[in-house]
Amino acid sequence: MADEKVIEKLKELWTKYEEIDGKFDEEMDPVFKEPYYPGVAEKLFNPDKPMENRITDIGPPYFRQFLPPIIKKNYGKWVSHEIIQPGVLKYESETGDVIYVVRCGTPRLETTDYIREICDIADKYCDGYVRWTTRNNIEFHVDSEEKLKALIEDLKNRKHPNGSYKFPIGGTGASVSNIVHTQGWIHCHTPAIDASGVVKSIMDELFEYFGSHKLPAKTRLALACCLNMCGAVHCSDIAIVGIHRKPPMVEDDRIQHVCEIPLAIAACPLGAIKPATVEIDGQKKKTVRVNAERCMFCGNCYTMCPAMPIADGEGDGIAIVVGGKVTNRISPPKFSRVVIPFIPNEPPRWPTAVKWIKHILEVYSQHANKYERVGDWIERIGWEKFFELTDIPFTEKSIDDYRLAYTTYRTSTHFKFTKHIEIK
Amino acid sequence: MPTVEYKGKVFEVDEDGFLQAGLDAWCQEWVEYVKEQEGIQELTEEHWKVINILQDYYKKNGVAPMVRILSKLTGFPLKKIYELFPSGPGKGACKMAGLPKPTGCV
Ligand code: SF4
Ligand code: SF4
Repeated sequence: MADEKVIEKLKELWTKYEEIDGKFDEEMDPVFKEPYYPGVAEKLFNPDKPMENRITDIGPPYFRQFLPPIIKKNYGKWVSHEIIQPGVLKYESETGDVIYVVRCGTPRLETTDYIREICDIADKYCDGYVRWTTRNNIEFHVDSEEKLKALIEDLKNRKHPNGSYKFPIGGTGASVSNIVHTQGWIHCHTPAIDASGVVKSIMDELFEYFGSHKLPAKTRLALACCLNMCGAVHCSDIAIVGIHRKPPMVEDDRIQHVCEIPLAIAACPLGAIKPATVEIDGQKKKTVRVNAERCMFCGNCYTMCPAMPIADGEGDGIAIVVGGKVTNRISPPKFSRVVIPFIPNEPPRWPTAVKWIKHILEVYSQHANKYERVGDWIERIGWEKFFELTDIPFTEKSIDDYRLAYTTYRTSTHFKFTKHIEIK
Repeated sequence: MPTVEYKGKVFEVDEDGFLQAGLDAWCQEWVEYVKEQEGIQELTEEHWKVINILQDYYKKNGVAPMVRILSKLTGFPLKKIYELFPSGPGKGACKMAGLPKPTGCV
């Protein structure tokens, strides 16, 4: 019954879509039909009258304008899909239509030249249509096996001058797909580690897992360069997060002018910051003091107050967390947990961090059952077994000590003896 | 630190044009200068109401008011504040009032 209602509702929606599409086909925004005119900003923007000719609140373009016709036609009518080889999917519709999808890795940070190359490929094989996935892979859609073969051949042969694949095919099924990551030293002001550099180093080492299906289940990797955790590190199978190990500096001479001091105080999750007054050149200045004993170096105060910088070449580094997931398949979603509290920054290849990640992935791959995500596997065998199997030294840093910490301790006599337990 | 000169006065500013010395350096000329930068035709009483309220609140509390509080204190809905200050309450009004640059994930 419920199913019927859902189908009813969907049918209603599709009718609506068709109406809207009709409107869009008639009056598609000319912006998408005309070639881009680079002088448009200068022509329309008058700095003396910034509100003149101003267009605003128009939102993103309507997505259905950019659907390949075959996808538009079969929208909501797909019946099955099949992964025919790593990186290549085949979808079948109730109308009998078939579409093949080739998924390619990308570095996420891209030049316009690279995007133009993607557009050329899309023009050549896909009637100009292409999409990006939620892990920043690219997907090319083709409607016949001949086109599929030609497309794959073409993609395989495209390389950067130094040898890296431009469009490696993979990222489907039980693979290591792209790493969701952040800005790092390329653009952000609060990172403890780099993003793009670490990601390239890891993906080079795990490349075989991108284009194959040899893992027990898909393994999601993510990276965030500070504890803000932009992205997915808190809910990924294996993730990397940048951390500091020293308290912030306080620039007494300017903090009063560039910071809203109460904001900095309220930014601290541990109440480690209190207001203070100092005398500089005979002048009283408002500032703050940080109780270093209480500070856990989260850097949140620096986010709010530019006069409290915290980054430090030697202090900063990588923490590795594992066992998170977002899907509801079999087990509920999980947060990832700290297993390696610190690995130093080692640009440009981060060998120690890369080694540990690969090692964790391999041990998981060896021991987990089919369909078990990293977190499912660890919960089955127990965390003490995870540490034993992976040879990761367990430190007190993995023991929660923040507010609701109690719920993470073991309130049971159930445990396994491991080599971590020494009986004297 | 870059400086700007306007009508004989020199202001130390950061790269986004916020006053480095905050309210200590704030004066009538600064308001005129930002007015030009922000493309505001004429400063009305309504502009001044926003500036005064921002400054009073900042002096009293050490922080800029939340947008909802600014709206409540001035009686202007957010839309109106944008009409007065096209870059908005943070980049426009706070800059003109000599408050510190807004921080956080903006
Ligand atoms: S994770 Fe932190 S450092 Fe990285 S982009 Fe986000 S806020 Fe910036
Ligand atoms: S770094 Fe974090 S814990 Fe330390 S003082 Fe700043 S906000 Fe508090």
